[in-house]
Amino acid sequence: MENHLTENELIEYRFELSSQEQQSVCSEHLAGCAECRERLDKLNKKFDALDLLREDAPVSKELISQVTAQAKQPGRQKFVPFYKSPWMGAVAAALVAGFVLLMSNLNTDKSTQRQFAKGLQQEDRIVSKDSRAKGQADTDPPTRMLAQDTDSKIEMARATRPTQAEATTRIVAKETSGMIAPTKGPARDNAVVETAIAPASEPIPEKPPFAPASAIELVTLPRRDKVQLTIYNSADLTLVRERRNLTLKKGWNWLQFMWANTLIDPTSLSLEPLQQAEKIDIQQLVFPARLRELGRWLIRSEISGQVPFEITYFTSGLSWRAFYMGTLSRDEKTMKMQGYVRLGNNSGEDYENAQTRLIVGQVHILDEIAQLARRQYPYDRPGMIEHDEYAFKKDVSITNGEYKTETLGRRQNWFADLKAKEIKKEGLSEYFLYTIEGTETIPNEWGKRLLSFEAEDIAVESLYKYEEQQWGNQAIRFVKFANDDKHNLGQTPIPNGNVKIYSHADEQGYLSYVGGTAIKYIPVDEEVELNLGPARLVKIEPKLMDFKTGNYRFDNRGNIAGWDEIRTWKIEITNTRTLPIQLEITRGFGTAYWMLQSESPYEKHDARHARFMMELEPRSKQAFEYTIRTYHGTREESLRQ
Amino acid sequence: MELIASMENTDKSLIDAHRQGDPAAFGELVRRYGDSVLGYLIRMSRNREQAEDLFQETFKRVHEKAHTFRGPQIKGWLFKVATNVALDGIRRGKRFKTVSLNQQLDCDNPNGEQFGAVALADNSCNPSEQALKAEQTEQVRRAIQSLPERQRATLVLAYYQQLSYPDVAEVMGCSVGTVKTQMFRALKTLANKLPEI
Repeated sequence: MENHLTENELIEYRFELSSQEQQSVCSEHLAGCAECRERLDKLNKKFDALDLLREDAPVSKELISQVTAQAKQPGRQKFVPFYKSPWMGAVAAALVAGFVLLMSNLNTDKSTQRQFAKGLQQEDRIVSKDSRAKGQADTDPPTRMLAQDTDSKIEMARATRPTQAEATTRIVAKETSGMIAPTKGPARDNAVVETAIAPASEPIPEKPPFAPASAIELVTLPRRDKVQLTIYNSADLTLVRERRNLTLKKGWNWLQFMWANTLIDPTSLSLEPLQQAEKIDIQQLVFPARLRELGRWLIRSEISGQVPFEITYFTSGLSWRAFYMGTLSRDEKTMKMQGYVRLGNNSGEDYENAQTRLIVGQVHILDEIAQLARRQYPYDRPGMIEHDEYAFKKDVSITNGEYKTETLGRRQNWFADLKAKEIKKEGLSEYFLYTIEGTETIPNEWGKRLLSFEAEDIAVESLYKYEEQQWGNQAIRFVKFANDDKHNLGQTPIPNGNVKIYSHADEQGYLSYVGGTAIKYIPVDEEVELNLGPARLVKIEPKLMDFKTGNYRFDNRGNIAGWDEIRTWKIEITNTRTLPIQLEITRGFGTAYWMLQSESPYEKHDARHARFMMELEPRSKQAFEYTIRTYHGTREESLRQ
Repeated sequence: MELIASMENTDKSLIDAHRQGDPAAFGELVRRYGDSVLGYLIRMSRNREQAEDLFQETFKRVHEKAHTFRGPQIKGWLFKVATNVALDGIRRGKRFKTVSLNQQLDCDNPNGEQFGAVALADNSCNPSEQALKAEQTEQVRRAIQSLPERQRATLVLAYYQQLSYPDVAEVMGCSVGTVKTQMFRALKTLANKLPEI
């Protein structure tokens, strides 16, 4: 064999999966190839890890006795087909129906009975220990329940639903065994009650454990009870505040969390107890070596029981954008405006029933959270972000102004959300905060659109602008209004976003798309002009009618040192619209030394520009002329004087 | 060889005795093969609790189906029953429960009632070594758990229970070639998932 052995061949050789012939060929090759031998050694070392699970677990005597006892129970009864005796079938059907009804009422099943009975056996042992230590007198109701005769456990299980008492009992058992665990069921809502159930008895070791002794001493974060998202739109940054109920044992507790496949910045994680803070100490946050995307909190607790905690952290991948729809009235003097907020979640995490707050304003951050989240290890230097992948992720939710969710056929959920939800707004020092009413569920890779505000009859001015230096030889259409009370707006600043303007195309109320643009943040009482793009129905044609030079000045050598240029322009304007228009024509002269003569009114816009303002009747033409004299060379001095 | 033959004869006589209603015979059978069957089920399932449930179910079926045993090797037959029970249980998922959090590692009894955690080979109880080994063991367990059921069963039977490939084929009810294919796929997957030790 000339070539080196592949990994597949090495695996087959190592575990004798190939034919004898192939085995001997590989064996010969390995005898003469040091490189392949080395690779085989590496592979062997890799598979040596399997031996970590090599030990056989001995069967306990208890289990053997259970199995043998089970075997002693009567075997299956002989099966008699009902079709051989129709009356037996009818009776059996009635019995089955009755049994099903009975069982559904009791809401019990065999597995529950068995599990509960098994749990009772364990708890009974634990309580017995406790009883010896504390004495029998002060047993509380759950403990008394556990102290009953074990022979009646199955009966109890049959009659017991998963009640409050049962849930409490389970917690007592777990705490007594010295573990930390998330809880389920009714007990979860009784944080304060639970914290009182386990009085301190043994002193807590002063020295914290170096690490949890095993994986089963750890608990992953239980489900969140509440979550609040504060999403910044100026940076890829979201502050997440979660509330989760953790059940602590007295002493040292390890709480493990993982952030694999999310964009959470692990270094920003913070954990705070919301109750009993003086008795609970969050000692350290540990990121174990060689374990990626995993961290552990070491918590010292002087109490046992359920305690609500708040966890805060930064994540990226959540975003929000504002966008707007304006509908012009038929006379284009007023506009209806609807503002929307679009939430997108590509953070890798589902957020259910989250209170959502949106921040407008620039925020200064040292690092991109997305980069922090993708570091190989926490506190490592941020690596290079994979821009393409990231851009893809960002683009997932929005494609050509449409939501991905729409393409996924989730449109029906949106329309429910289109119902206006109140978005409360309040000003912060440098930012503006919008709080969406109620809570929102934002699954990963979903987008969501919410109505932000709706304003009717906003007085607008339609304005056409012409400026060659900026837009070339075409008129641009603008809609102008202000974010103030007079325009039925002005309650809050308007965040930056895209605006699409429609107008009523006919009497039936059909809409036609007029144009769209992006707007920047509009403070209260600020005017805004929406650029709707080139106007097709308004033409402006400047024509140079005359050009001459004069007023030459010469220097000592007889060369021309200064002169004037005189141009006469004729501007022809055509309005083919059925509505009157306002027009603003800005003319630039390329120099600050100029003199303009015109019968049409104008104003000096800036040093190098003059601006003509006029109105045109529907379906009309108009023309005006102006003569511009510009001064050059030493003639500039004469104008200055 | 003589010992094996002797054992097989005893197994056969145990089964015969059980069929004839001797209650002690069945207990002896459980004691004799309980460890390896439980070890197999533990590696097939997610935790010891589930494995014990499957263990009980396995021997319940053994008890009920003893009359179908045709020999000669009871061990293979036991694993066949255990495999059917485990695959049924895993597919239905009805016995899946969360990992018990009520157990702690006891340094004095490192091989005690543990699974999914640490089964220490030494008694050093050095905290850092313990933690590292615990994580590595957990990674191995997760890697094996991530395998498809039949690949997992093949790997556990061939590697941990040290059955020959023909025996595994007998247990799994397939050809030796299929067993080797399953084994190769399992190992190929594990090669990328097992931790460096």
